[in-house]
Amino acid sequence: MKGFKPSAPFLLLLPAFIVLAAVVVVPLLLSLYSSFTPFRLTKPETFFVFVGLRNYLSILANTDFWWAFGRTVLLLTIALNLEMLLGLGLAMLVEKATRGQRILRTLMMFPMMFSPILVGFQFKFMFNDNIGLVNNALQSLGITQDAIPWLIEGHLAFIAISIAEIWSSTAIFAILILAGLLAMPKEPIEAARVDGCTPWQTFRYVTWPFVMPFAYIAMTIRSLDVARAYDIVKIMTDGGPAGRTELLWTLVARTAYSDGRMGMANAMAYFSILLSIAFTVYFFNKLAAARTQIGAEW
Amino acid sequence: MDENSSARLKRRLLGIVHRIGLFLAMLTICLPGLWIVLSSLRPTVEIMAKPPVWIPQEISFDAYVSMFSGIGKGGIPVIEYFRNSLIISVTSTIIAVAIGMAGGYAFARYRFRGKSSVFLGLMLTRTVPGIALSLPLFFLYVRLGIIDTHFGLILAYVALNVPFTIWLIDGFFRQVPKDLAEAAQIDGCTRWQAFWQVEFPLAGPGIASAAIFAFLTCWNEFALASQLTRSVSAKTLPVGLLDYTAEFTIDWRGMCALAVVMIIPALTLTYIVQKHLVGGLTSGAVKG
Amino acid sequence: MNRLLSGVSAGALLAFGAGTALAGDLPGKFEGVTVDVKLIGGQQYEKLYERIPEWEKATGAKVNILTKKNGFDIDKELKSDIASGSTNWCVGWNHSSFAPQYTGLYTDLSKLLPKEEIDAFVPSTIKAATIDGKLEMLPRAQFDVSALYYQKSLYENADNKTKFKAKYGYDLVPPDSWKEVTDQAEFFANPPNFYGTQFAGKEEAINGRFYEMVVAEGGEYLDKDGKPVFNSEAGIRALDWFVNLYKAKAVPAGTTNYLWDDLGQGFASGTVAINLDWPGWAGFFNDPKSSKVAGNVGVKVAPKGSSGKRTGWSGFHGFSVTENCPHKEAAASLVWWLTNEDSQKLEAAAGPLPTRTAVWDWDLKQAENDPYKKEVLSAFQEEAKHAFAVPQTPEWIEISNAVYPELQAAILGDKTSKQALDEAAAKATQILQDAGKL
Repeated sequence: MKGFKPSAPFLLLLPAFIVLAAVVVVPLLLSLYSSFTPFRLTKPETFFVFVGLRNYLSILANTDFWWAFGRTVLLLTIALNLEMLLGLGLAMLVEKATRGQRILRTLMMFPMMFSPILVGFQFKFMFNDNIGLVNNALQSLGITQDAIPWLIEGHLAFIAISIAEIWSSTAIFAILILAGLLAMPKEPIEAARVDGCTPWQTFRYVTWPFVMPFAYIAMTIRSLDVARAYDIVKIMTDGGPAGRTELLWTLVARTAYSDGRMGMANAMAYFSILLSIAFTVYFFNKLAAARTQIGAEW
Repeated sequence: MDENSSARLKRRLLGIVHRIGLFLAMLTICLPGLWIVLSSLRPTVEIMAKPPVWIPQEISFDAYVSMFSGIGKGGIPVIEYFRNSLIISVTSTIIAVAIGMAGGYAFARYRFRGKSSVFLGLMLTRTVPGIALSLPLFFLYVRLGIIDTHFGLILAYVALNVPFTIWLIDGFFRQVPKDLAEAAQIDGCTRWQAFWQVEFPLAGPGIASAAIFAFLTCWNEFALASQLTRSVSAKTLPVGLLDYTAEFTIDWRGMCALAVVMIIPALTLTYIVQKHLVGGLTSGAVKG
Repeated sequence: MNRLLSGVSAGALLAFGAGTALAGDLPGKFEGVTVDVKLIGGQQYEKLYERIPEWEKATGAKVNILTKKNGFDIDKELKSDIASGSTNWCVGWNHSSFAPQYTGLYTDLSKLLPKEEIDAFVPSTIKAATIDGKLEMLPRAQFDVSALYYQKSLYENADNKTKFKAKYGYDLVPPDSWKEVTDQAEFFANPPNFYGTQFAGKEEAINGRFYEMVVAEGGEYLDKDGKPVFNSEAGIRALDWFVNLYKAKAVPAGTTNYLWDDLGQGFASGTVAINLDWPGWAGFFNDPKSSKVAGNVGVKVAPKGSSGKRTGWSGFHGFSVTENCPHKEAAASLVWWLTNEDSQKLEAAAGPLPTRTAVWDWDLKQAENDPYKKEVLSAFQEEAKHAFAVPQTPEWIEISNAVYPELQAAILGDKTSKQALDEAAAKATQILQDAGKL
């Protein structure tokens, strides 16, 4: 290493490397190791028993796990796409507004102020079948006479969770896409209008390519961050009833702390990391493609 | 003439549709939140009622009064929680944004070997689920003696936020045309000066939004905080929310009141900071 | 190795200290000693901690509160502590349902405290706090067992009385058996506006309710060898009770997702006739600011199952001293202080149930001029006689987590009770085998 002269980007990135190594990489190695052991929290000595791939093999054979896995992928796909669409719509509505931008933008971010556990309680009570706000409203408006079991019936529970998740996270898309819209030069739009483009064409060929990278950034950030939804799901249904809304995170968390089977839980967690990596890499490529499309480095 | 008026009519119609759409969107966003605010002001008997009581019959600040009236009288150490939350969130946001600016600048302005894999690698640190981190982190923190300290939580939050502050800020630096800084350097600025005087103000909105994100993430984070803090000396507001639950009971009104106490500063801050989302923006001058 | 050594030295200390403790010596003098403690936080639990400074003054010791957090988080923390070997703090939260999991963490208090002090507690709680012959915790005045809350007016209504008698052939009075609860619940139910009863439907809550029903039906959850046998006839009868109510729509459709908070809010909203619930809600239900049924609440001992036994799944919070605590005497003194008569009176005055015999009597006397409180306390005092704890196996929570989705599946009609219980028993057996218990 003699004569090693660190380059500018290396120095600039060094602080990030250090922090991430300390808080993420080192613990990650520890938990990777523990996924090869039958580690139980209440039996510390099991940390030193090496069982190779046994945890992973038993997960492969565990149908409950794969159901949860599939459900998580489905939730991610639905929630992220809807969030992006709604976020785009919201950002455009707000951007078009001529007055009250400050207020509108702040209100738009309102859901981001709510801690996920609060969102969980909030939607659990709102979707309560007996005294919840939603059923009360539907009954008062005469839309239904029944107490709809929102958090019980498989599809409804999935929808209720998605609504809570979408409510709490659409703002992230909206604000990023709005930032993109605001950063967008106005000339191309003027030019398009002069050329007689319809609003839809203007959007499709001018606005959208420009904000797309922002949408993908938001998408990727969100797909990295979705495990946040754990707090919401934990309180709303905790995977129930009868495992109908079990997601990877609720399964892993219950295995890890409630059952105390940390080794197994970590092995499950690594499967979910693979899932996140797949999502991230996918959006990352999309982002790169979107960037090239509008001229590599701007 | 005819065409003209129909175009005007169409525009007016569009305007109305836009306004209605905007109103509905804002309503959907705000209603669940307002429900929380109302819940904190109304007696529980009205909130969880059937048949529903739509128009509040009785408004009181009891929940807020008792929140501050000390342990044993329905109070919780809200001042301490607030202080902890504020110190931890602000400090970790500043650090995360600083690190993010350095990193984002490196990615936006330099070419180096393995750039995209380094970038991807940084992002992927974020894919690690909290559950895989929480116990090893707990082990480490106990050994280092930084469990239940502000420092410990700040460190964790910086790591939590750095990947996406880098990402966001990178994106916005890329938008600032390279030639601007180069022009400044030709005019005799050092790279450092060029950065602060030209590129930084232009990337302002990006940095502001990164900061808002980072702050809100820290302000609301629950899972790590519940694992890494223990006592009033470091517990944050989201963890404090659970002070309103006991094994078999919940004080929903109290919880809502604390939630409002949490939301107000976040909302105020957002309101102040969000103007920088546009403030740094240059209208025609830059791109021209 | 390290742990082993400290265990040995702790044992030596114990042998030395044993026998020296006398009731009159408490709280004792511990000048210069600092006791690290981990407590449960939250409004209901924290009033008691105001008594800590008095203990500090009396003994000269210092108490350093390391942790004060919510029950489930403190459970996580204790497990993390055991896993990372950081257990050299002294006094910790404990709960009868969780205690068996913390193998080796807590020490035997009967060796540290005089016998007459321990005898002052209700004997059944001391029995439940004794694990493998070690008294691992002293209970505070946070004893939980469920009694039946009901809306009085429903039973006073003449129309209800005649209709009920005509339909079921016996008088409409607050139920004394679970069969009567079923009849009455179906009779009162008028979905979606009004429900006969409700039950907690998830996590250890439904498993606990099922467990007590199995016992009331004359069955066992685990047999004397620790083998899961809840898929017996009695077990099926127990589960059918939940299934039939759900099928008859006598309970809210959402009940399988309810936890204690939903149940309490539901009964307070006045839309549920009969509600088996915890003592912590008694005040809430009768407060006009929080409950629509205030002034209309009756409380009765929990009903009997077909075997004649009453349900009585119970649990209690308490304090324990760690095996690795460097100042066990001081720690035990603090535990005694927080659970002594004055402390229990302080807690019981706010509503929770005491665990000392003398404080029960005191509590009842206090309530003499408050008919509602008197009704509540007498019901719970009666109920406490029938209370029983969960089986003392470290795997209890894990079994719970494996069993409850199966119970839910049966209630929702995805499986028959027999199928569900057979599968649940297979899972539970597997868990115990994996743990080397069977």
